[in-house]
Amino acid sequence: MRRPTVGRRQILAVAGITMAGALAACNGESTDTQHLRLSSWNIPPDLVSYQKIADAFVADHPGTSVSVEVTTGQFHQWFITRLAANLAPDIIRITPQQLGRYAANGSLVDLTGSVPEDYRDDWSEPFWAIGQRENGLYGIFQHTDNFITYYDKQVMEQIGVQPPTRLEDAWRWDEFLEIAQEVKAATGHYAFSYGWSGSETAYRWMPLIYQNGGAFLGEDGLTPSMDTAEAIGALEFGRSWYTEGLVSPSNMSKSGGGHVDFDLFNTGQVGMALTNPEAIASFDEARPGEWGVAPMIRNTGEASDLGGNTLAVTKSSKHPELAAELVAYMTSRENIQTFCHDGNWIPSRSSLAAEDIGYADHEDVMQLFIDQGTTIPLSMVKAQSGEYFSSLNAVFADYLDLCLLGELTPRETSEQMMEAMLSVTSR
Amino acid sequence: MSRPAETPVPTGRRGRRLTPYVFLGPAALLFLTFSLVPIVIAIALSFQDTQTLGEGQWVGTQNFEELGSDRLFRTALLNTVVFAVGTVPTSMAIGLALATALNRPLPGRGLFRALFFVPMVAAGVVVGVVMSWIFNTDYGVANNALEILGLGRIPWLTSPSMAMLTLILVVVWTRVGFCMVIYLGALQSVPAEIVEAASIDGAGPWARFRRITLPMLAPTTSILLILNVVFSLQAFDIIYVLTGGGPGFSTTVLIQYVFRSAFQDGQMGYAAALGLVLVAILLLFTLLRQRASKKAESFL
Repeated sequence: MRRPTVGRRQILAVAGITMAGALAACNGESTDTQHLRLSSWNIPPDLVSYQKIADAFVADHPGTSVSVEVTTGQFHQWFITRLAANLAPDIIRITPQQLGRYAANGSLVDLTGSVPEDYRDDWSEPFWAIGQRENGLYGIFQHTDNFITYYDKQVMEQIGVQPPTRLEDAWRWDEFLEIAQEVKAATGHYAFSYGWSGSETAYRWMPLIYQNGGAFLGEDGLTPSMDTAEAIGALEFGRSWYTEGLVSPSNMSKSGGGHVDFDLFNTGQVGMALTNPEAIASFDEARPGEWGVAPMIRNTGEASDLGGNTLAVTKSSKHPELAAELVAYMTSRENIQTFCHDGNWIPSRSSLAAEDIGYADHEDVMQLFIDQGTTIPLSMVKAQSGEYFSSLNAVFADYLDLCLLGELTPRETSEQMMEAMLSVTSR
Repeated sequence: MSRPAETPVPTGRRGRRLTPYVFLGPAALLFLTFSLVPIVIAIALSFQDTQTLGEGQWVGTQNFEELGSDRLFRTALLNTVVFAVGTVPTSMAIGLALATALNRPLPGRGLFRALFFVPMVAAGVVVGVVMSWIFNTDYGVANNALEILGLGRIPWLTSPSMAMLTLILVVVWTRVGFCMVIYLGALQSVPAEIVEAASIDGAGPWARFRRITLPMLAPTTSILLILNVVFSLQAFDIIYVLTGGGPGFSTTVLIQYVFRSAFQDGQMGYAAALGLVLVAILLLFTLLRQRASKKAESFL
């Protein structure tokens, strides 16, 4: 029997149909369905959670569909190239530190008309200020995190220190340094680690400036102010961590990405770690039952890291009003509660306490994080969610690193950082 | 005896005229789309002030003028040169030594060749992550091994003076296999009769290597030199993961600064100008490579 043969024309025809199908699939929408794409960091429980909330939204909105995608690679590279091609997702999960540039250059959509008026009342002023600008609302802060002090119970017992549990009893810098010296002696290596995760998270050290009464940028959120005595004092404090051997040089603002802070704690080389809630899972796995928590350190003022994410609608969206409606839906009290429960996140809404979320474990630790969130200063939020922050953070990472390394004195750091910051803000 | 099948040759004048274009077309289209057009756009971008891709203001040569007063550019350029000087000759020398050792009957020769080549195949990001663990000052394998031997810890990645050396060490490790494979190929084309003749004339192993093998490898060495320089100028992923350009600015190289200017600072025009400087350097070495290739052809 002669086998059927496939000619060139047939191959071309099949290829054409396949190509057309593939292109239609890329477009992701049929003519009568309003399709939205939401992009999130690749955190599996969050992807599931977003899709679950989105499915509930779709059920209430016939003729719509929502797909959840993953933000890949370096964020700015990913987002800028997609915006340029007008292919950015409709909704983007973005950090406060990344949001400023895009809110300023018209890449994000104003959500003002789509958000219920009473929403504003359930966010603290700093948390609402992340997305709020004079000319509109460019994002809603969905969940937060910050830094507290984790400690090794055995080390604290050994040195006879009872760590504080309430914010008002938090260790001041001088107390903390004294205890750190004892912890260092107990571990035989270092005293504590700090929760940097590569140069792009250098800003996590900024709360120290605010704890000392200083500021990274002035009240206008634009004028560099790293030349004040308070800012220089904070740099001196940071420098002392390394001159006194309290922190490992492998744990610095710029080099040593990943979770060096966790590793140092898990390997017993430090007895304390100033870091975020991500540490809980790591410490539970490596050292279950051996760690406790205390509030973030403070000095003349209180401050902690501004972690968390905002939901925003991009200018690439073909259905911006529907996308804005979905953002409002995802940031409703009920959905933030669900999202924080499923992903073990800290809620951005003030009315939600740890017991409302119903965390699977460590409710007391999560409540401490919620309480600590109230110490994040408005001026730091404005600085970090400002237009130039991405560039300013790179400058901060460079010069803080040089200061901590001892390549520059705190005063030289201040001078050179100011010069570099001014060159950014005067563009 | 049957005649071999002949490729039909277009007979008409039009057919003869079109044939080369049909063959060149797909490659030319790809080159045009993915190389030439982006290069032209990048050149245009380098004369603009723009924060995002798409819209910008023409600023003439301002971006290039700013390069002159940019301290970080000078540091990155110097680091790039140090990195290239540190990686290129070392990789080639070790590659040649390994190729010479493996170019003779040896048990497990194939396995050794494969093992030395594996790092070249591994993704740069993976190498960076693994090496950041190995060379961690506090809990890395490297320092643990040194301590077992009774030696002190080395601040591999945490000291500005050591970080570049560590980086060079890692990159040399990844690149040695490539140099070895190229040299192995070249060594096998060195005529055995010449080496034998020299042996009979009383030349020892070192004299044979220096007077015969090395000169005959000269064209390969020239090509490898240029290729390695190009690799070093393009090295990004390992540095990005391993040191992030730090501590301080000690490992910030030019390609990293291009990336930072474009995507972290949002200065697309300035980044394009920086990129063109890099292209100019690469172009210079590519020209040298072409000359080396011609020399190699004339030698053969």
